[in-house]
Amino acid sequence: MDFTLSEEQTAARDLAEQIFQGSVTPERVKAVEATDERVDRDLWAALADANLLGLCLPEAVGGSGLGLLELCLVLEAQGQVVAPVPLWATVVLGALPIAEWGSAEQRQAWLPGVVRGDVLLSAALAGPGTNDPHRPPVEARADGSGWRLFGLSVAVPAAHVADRVLVPARTPDGVGVFLVDPRGPGVTLERAITTNREIHPHLLLDGAPGEVLGSLDAGGRAVAWMVDRALLGLCAMQIGVCEAAVRLAADYTSNRVQFGKPLSAFQGVALHAADGYIQTEAIRVTTWQAAWRLDAGREATSDVLVAKWWASEGGQRVVHIAQHLHGGMGADVDYPVHRYFLWGKQIEDTLGGASAQLARLGQTLAGAA
Amino acid sequence: MTAVAETSETAEQAAFRDEAHAWLEGNAPRRRHDSSEFKRRVAATGPEDEQAHVEASKSWQRRIFDAGFAGISVPRDYGGRGDTAALERVWRQEVVRYEIDTGVFSVALGMVVPTLLAHGTEDQKRRFVPPVLRGEELWCQLFSEPGAGSDLAGLTTRAERDGDEWVVNGQKVWNSFAHLADWGILLARTDWDVPKHRGITYFLVDMHSPGVEPRPLRQITGVAHFNETFLTDVRIPADQVVGAVNGGWGVAQTTLMNERALIGGASPLGFRDYVELARHHGKTADPDIRQRLAAAYTRFQILRWLGQRAQAAARSGQALGPESSVAKLVISDHSAQNGDLALAIEGAAGMLSGRDAFESGFWQQQFLGQWGVRIGGGTEQVQRNIIGERVLGLPPERRPDKTEPFRSIPKNA
Ligand SMILES: Cc1cc2nc3c(=O)[nH]c(=O)nc-3n(C[C@H](O)[C@H](O)[C@H](O)COP(=O)(O)OP(=O)(O)OC[C@H]3O[C@@H](n4cnc5c(N)ncnc54)[C@H](O)[C@@H]3O)c2cc1C
Repeated sequence: MDFTLSEEQTAARDLAEQIFQGSVTPERVKAVEATDERVDRDLWAALADANLLGLCLPEAVGGSGLGLLELCLVLEAQGQVVAPVPLWATVVLGALPIAEWGSAEQRQAWLPGVVRGDVLLSAALAGPGTNDPHRPPVEARADGSGWRLFGLSVAVPAAHVADRVLVPARTPDGVGVFLVDPRGPGVTLERAITTNREIHPHLLLDGAPGEVLGSLDAGGRAVAWMVDRALLGLCAMQIGVCEAAVRLAADYTSNRVQFGKPLSAFQGVALHAADGYIQTEAIRVTTWQAAWRLDAGREATSDVLVAKWWASEGGQRVVHIAQHLHGGMGADVDYPVHRYFLWGKQIEDTLGGASAQLARLGQTLAGAA
Repeated sequence: MTAVAETSETAEQAAFRDEAHAWLEGNAPRRRHDSSEFKRRVAATGPEDEQAHVEASKSWQRRIFDAGFAGISVPRDYGGRGDTAALERVWRQEVVRYEIDTGVFSVALGMVVPTLLAHGTEDQKRRFVPPVLRGEELWCQLFSEPGAGSDLAGLTTRAERDGDEWVVNGQKVWNSFAHLADWGILLARTDWDVPKHRGITYFLVDMHSPGVEPRPLRQITGVAHFNETFLTDVRIPADQVVGAVNGGWGVAQTTLMNERALIGGASPLGFRDYVELARHHGKTADPDIRQRLAAAYTRFQILRWLGQRAQAAARSGQALGPESSVAKLVISDHSAQNGDLALAIEGAAGMLSGRDAFESGFWQQQFLGQWGVRIGGGTEQVQRNIIGERVLGLPPERRPDKTEPFRSIPKNA
């Protein structure tokens, strides 16, 4: 990849930034957080109107058929304003796997609705104490011609508003991915609030009917495919979070006078801010590289892991720096910078933090030698 | 459990340790590292929880006083036990092993009492120290302002003399417990035509007097534990100035040094708490978690030795010096890393918050509480500057604001 954006990509990014920056203010985030479901429905409709939800979905379901890199640019724009919408859950965790692995009927059933903004989706990739979706905490048992699911998935993003949740589950023939109606029989949703103040309910499955996504023999590969994209999406959001956090800190310290001059005039402040910038760019190049390889259909798991390592390790350094440079202001929840800290932490730990990525990367690299 | 003696303990210290231990055993529940209930109480965030917390703190402090363990190094004339700082430290080592939380008295006991003992008049010491030791009066610190944080000496709250009183106007911010406090230690500017450090006076202000208005701010931890405090024509009797008029900066240094030491020694958590957390989550065999636990252990060790070195210095009569900056820096790093460690141990569930998280979000609060540790009492950068300039003797940054009249220095709009 040569790291310059095509015209199409630039247009997608500009459009996304225009919509996110235009409608999301700190006050708006606070107002949405005070609602029961904590989802900005108006913003969601605006994203659908601009066809950003269908950006990388097939044209056959109403999408624009663009690639992951374009989607990453939209997620970056979301991260910049920490917008409370289930974009990662619906598009990355839900729609992309349905488009890739679903049957023709499943694609028709769910994807046009995603593009229109009517359908919300998610996936259940974590269990109690585990972030390894290849060993899911859920078991699928055959029941006549269908399946019933049993087990507990924790912290499923946006499950309280999702129309379907993709659930990897163990079957006698390996792992399969199942579509589950989170409001259907056999499902209990337990509301849970995350570090970044979103709702990620626990999904307790006790005989819930599950519909196989595509065919069962795709299961293991589909899960690996989903995890690559899920991690990539997190990295893309982290770019936006970090970029905006560094910007906020730079503005804040340039305007705040202590000791008779702007804080940013102290080297101890400027060096920190510069460090934050370096880490942010590291997340950006590794993420774009991984997106580009996935779009080109190349093997990219280790690229994704490198990106997620930077997003976790570098990302948390950036949000710590930004938070720190705000002094006491950072600890006051009426001021927006703490949200970047909370989002940075949330993204860092989702699907495993830095050391979990290193462990997987080490396995990939040493195993390949 | 027996009292764990330090290696170099004197006979007097050992005897005192046994005495303290005996009283604690007979009067307080021992803190178990897996005691969720205690953690849950500490993590509680609602206003009614806060009131309960205050009442519990007051009643514990009273019982400690009645048993003769309050103000161990405070002279008897002011309600204390009249013993050494070394015994005080022994008491602190013992008391953290029990479910006793006197957290709301931290400003009063850890900062106000030592400042009054060092700089207060005889009357001030007799009036203000005993009620703190008895758990009757709560204090807060009214130092920081919207325009004066790291540059505390840049404060612009003004005090003007009017007969036997001072009249104070201005705004303070980030004042922990101000909405609950009976008294506050306050810095205000009394001379605008001298360099900034020389025009500040240190006051004791009755938080119930007219014109004092604390407004709670919600903290990142979820607790409304700090405030912005508005001061409008607040009248303070002239005998509530500590030290000399315009000599407040020197007095404030005593408070700040004690604050750093307090923050340096504040966390009730020990290494065992983290091991217990890992055990509970089935992570003791996880190689990554084990390594991080081991790293945490090395930090707990260094903090212990730093504490003992400070104790030895205190024994030989040396004043608390820049080592409080070292301790505060180590603690800052420690609290950031321990927060990450706790959430890593909890895995996916570590991303939950509040009541949805393990032990009602106690560990998430520890994680978020790192900002109080790292920013409160002078930030890490400020501590580094102190070490650079006052310990290593590096030339200070050029700072015209130190020498010019305060009136003429650039300030926030
Ligand atoms: C939880 C909490 C509780 C508190 N409780 C109290 C209280 O009870 N009473 C009270 O009076 N105050 C209290 N404070 C305030 C605290 O003392 C100040 O927040 C602190 O001194 C920092 O000031 P500031 O917030 O204005 O940050 P600023 O001074 O604006 O600092 C912003 C950033 O710039 C950096 N910086 C500043 N100067 C320099 C320099 N010269 N070189 C390099 N870097 C620099 C800082 O490290 C920080 O990262 C509390 C703060 C917190 C977070």
